[in-house]
Amino acid sequence: MTGNFRSILKLLRPDFYHQMDGHLNPYFTFANYNKIWTVGILVLALTALVPLITVTGIHYQLIQKSVDSELLLRTERLTSNARRAVTFFLEERLNALRFTVNEIEYTQLTNPAHLSDVLRNIKLGFGGLSDLSVISPTGAQVAYAGPYNIEGKNYSDQHWFIECRKNNYYVSEIFRGYRNVPHIIIAVKSFRADNTFFILRATLETERLIQTVISYETGKHADIFLVNRAGIIQTPSKHHGSIFEKMALLPALKYSPRTQTIMASDGQGQKIVGYAFISTPIADTPFILMVIKQKEGMMGVWEDLFSSISWFVALCVMAILIVVTITCTFMVNKMFLADKAKAETLALVEQNNQLASVGQLAAGVAHEINNPLALINETAGYIKDLFTIAETYHQDDELMENIDSILEAVERCGRITGQLLGFARKFDIKIENINLKEIISDILLFHNKEAEYRNIKVNVDMPEGNIEIESDRGKLQQILLNLVNNAFQAMNEGCRLDIIAKRKGLDSVVITICDNGCGMPEDTLPKIFEPFFSTKERGVGTGLGLAITSGLIKKLHGDISVKSKQDEGTTFTITLPIHTKEELRDNENSLGGR
Amino acid sequence: MTHYNILIVDDEKRYANMLAKRLNLRGCVCEVCYSGKQALEIIKHKQFFLTLLDLRLPDIYGTEVLARMKACCAGMPVIILTAHGTQEDRQECLRKGAYAFMHKPLGIEALMLILARIRGMSA
Repeated sequence: MTGNFRSILKLLRPDFYHQMDGHLNPYFTFANYNKIWTVGILVLALTALVPLITVTGIHYQLIQKSVDSELLLRTERLTSNARRAVTFFLEERLNALRFTVNEIEYTQLTNPAHLSDVLRNIKLGFGGLSDLSVISPTGAQVAYAGPYNIEGKNYSDQHWFIECRKNNYYVSEIFRGYRNVPHIIIAVKSFRADNTFFILRATLETERLIQTVISYETGKHADIFLVNRAGIIQTPSKHHGSIFEKMALLPALKYSPRTQTIMASDGQGQKIVGYAFISTPIADTPFILMVIKQKEGMMGVWEDLFSSISWFVALCVMAILIVVTITCTFMVNKMFLADKAKAETLALVEQNNQLASVGQLAAGVAHEINNPLALINETAGYIKDLFTIAETYHQDDELMENIDSILEAVERCGRITGQLLGFARKFDIKIENINLKEIISDILLFHNKEAEYRNIKVNVDMPEGNIEIESDRGKLQQILLNLVNNAFQAMNEGCRLDIIAKRKGLDSVVITICDNGCGMPEDTLPKIFEPFFSTKERGVGTGLGLAITSGLIKKLHGDISVKSKQDEGTTFTITLPIHTKEELRDNENSLGGR
Repeated sequence: MTHYNILIVDDEKRYANMLAKRLNLRGCVCEVCYSGKQALEIIKHKQFFLTLLDLRLPDIYGTEVLARMKACCAGMPVIILTAHGTQEDRQECLRKGAYAFMHKPLGIEALMLILARIRGMSA
């Protein structure tokens, strides 16, 4: 299970994540692809996300601001309407009293029966009044009409009496008073013909006023009520305290003739507060109309919208991140692969350059050796000539033998330098007729001594006799030398190397190079023709030998395959065409030859 | 055995002399010179059966000497005998009419074989 998961993870991992091949590092343009990948994702993601998040933020602020101002406006309108209604309610009743004192004589008013008539008429016309009384300048109640028996009381020390005497009109706050029932007093002062005055006082039922205020209540989040200037609640409030208690939330209310709205907050969150000081044209009143809305409740719709927007933005961010990651991974991987291909090519080019310079060196050495070699050859030859032709030392077998061995050594040197020259030429493509037997024994010359020393048996077998093919001598030499070298490196003392060449059909020849050396693990076989793959210890092989070999075979329109078993040996099989169509054929043939 | 008249052109004096001695022993008459100019001068006055020509001469490069020799004595075979010959040199020499292109060191028997072949052709 975990194995499966790991293999999937490995599949998802981009190529550049794996460690680079150490020896290719100097050829890479960029060293740290993980860093490029991370920086790329960061830059792309920031470029895409910053505008999105900024715009969303600005949008959010704008909407919040407009929602706030909309809420304030609505609250202000509501407060204003309610204020007008409350003001009108009080003003109407004050005007009724003013009309009464101007219209009806004092003497008639002090007549209880008449006063009762007046009370009834006012109740009919306006409603909301419970009693009427006439007060003398000394504060004594002169006449009373109403349900309470409070005749003969003296009000000279009462606040309302003092205020009304001073200001001509009076509107009280809601209070219980002597009768222990919440009520409002309104009073009007009037002058008589003898320049003395009297006060007509009426008691208002609070129920009508409360109904008027409550009728403006909209929704469960809005609370509308009256307070006096000290903040004592006058009409029922839903959330901010009971009647005659101090209001729980009280922002600093500055007096203003106009309706005001403010934002305030208490422990339960933000609130929109609208307030208006109630004042009639003829008298000031102690009332302040309060409209308090819970912002959170009012924001419900907007919050739903914001939550949808947030979800959408979150999904967008996710999508952008995924796309950015995939794109970045893809691009960086492409870049890495291109860079890797370039690095491999560069490494190969360098390797080839090294091989080329080795070839040039070999050619130079061969040329330089050839001259003294030729001199040795001729000198020794001359000595031999002296012996043979002059017949002076004709019978001296030992001398002849020694001279022959000099000549043989020279011949061998000549053959080696000749081969070195052959390698120097391997970079040109020259197709010529090649004798397979000859070229194989040329190659084996390099290994004769080693084979003898390590007791390795080398067997060359051509069951159908010698084969001639048309090919490039240098390249074929290099191919065979590489494979024979590999075989010798894989073999221990006493091993055996078989080189078999056979025709295959009319057009091709199969050369098999088979050793019974250490072999290779089977799972490495598909990779051995890849550049820089080596089963040898690090530093021993370049990992290029078989890659170059397989490249050369392809150039010669051939094919190579391998079979190997650990500890049992390796068999390389090369198939080459017998006839090669090549424009650059070497037609020159020298006579004689070496 | 017919006395072959051979010109050896090589700046390696000891090599040239030694080769001349060996050919003398085999019945040839050899003349040795160590530069291209010298060789071209000699063949103006004397006819040779064969010339053995090195490529790296101090004054004129061998291919050029070969071309001039072929210009004045077209019938005389010239064998290039060099330690340095590249594939290009080989092709150029054969194109310019060299009879053979041989690498040093060269066994005396191989040389004698070529002589025999030339004689066979000229006979």
